[in-house]
Amino acid sequence: MQDRITQVFKAIADPTRREIFHALVIASSALSITQIASQFDMSRQGVTKHIKTLENAGLVVLDSQGRERFCNANAKPLKEVNKWMTFYEQFWDDSLENLGSYLDQKAT
Amino acid sequence: MNDVITKEKVFNHPIDKVWDAISKAEEISTWFIQADFKAQKDYQYTFTSEPNEKGCTTISGTVKEAHPYVLVYTWIVADTNVETIVTWKLESVAEGTKLYLEHSGISNYEGDTAIAMFESFNGGWENCINGLTAYLKQEVNAG
Repeated sequence: MQDRITQVFKAIADPTRREIFHALVIASSALSITQIASQFDMSRQGVTKHIKTLENAGLVVLDSQGRERFCNANAKPLKEVNKWMTFYEQFWDDSLENLGSYLDQKAT
Repeated sequence: MNDVITKEKVFNHPIDKVWDAISKAEEISTWFIQADFKAQKDYQYTFTSEPNEKGCTTISGTVKEAHPYVLVYTWIVADTNVETIVTWKLESVAEGTKLYLEHSGISNYEGDTAIAMFESFNGGWENCINGLTAYLKQEVNAG
């Protein structure tokens, strides 16, 4: 079973899914599958497949109203990934900086 | 975007000096973090950061590979059960030694675990790093 952060990386690896996700983020309200399909000139099936991947990653939350399904963006999983990356980027930069100072000091 | 952090840095020092700094417990404890460490395969190491008011943390893991000039160990932050992998590689270059560092495996974290890990880790750890930087400066001034 793939865990969620792997799903997030998988979901955002595809440019079309990134565009759909972006469209949902900037939309003032939830968008239906039909609206997304017309905006991206794609079939409903195509959109549904991408939305499913985004939903598995927790990036989209679906809300059914009658026969239509509405999609809401949820950016929280991205923040988790981003926080980890940002934290360790800084952590290793600082650590290697310390290593450099240590080696310089030892050599003198 | 992927889940690997890579760093490259060139040190103006011979490769064996850099190797000792990253593989000997006494030296790791000086520049990085208090270490119970041996550069031998299967050694269970522990890194302990200095306690402070926010509480620091423990990192443990197993040495997977250790021979000049490649060092690989798992990296498990206390209170999480998920391991990431830290890889160090050294290479002699004209200017001295090129260090290649890789930290991979965030995708092994469940989303919620990652948050808990981060929150328990962040405050204490940053304090410790700041402490270490201050310590090094002090050492340089004293010397």
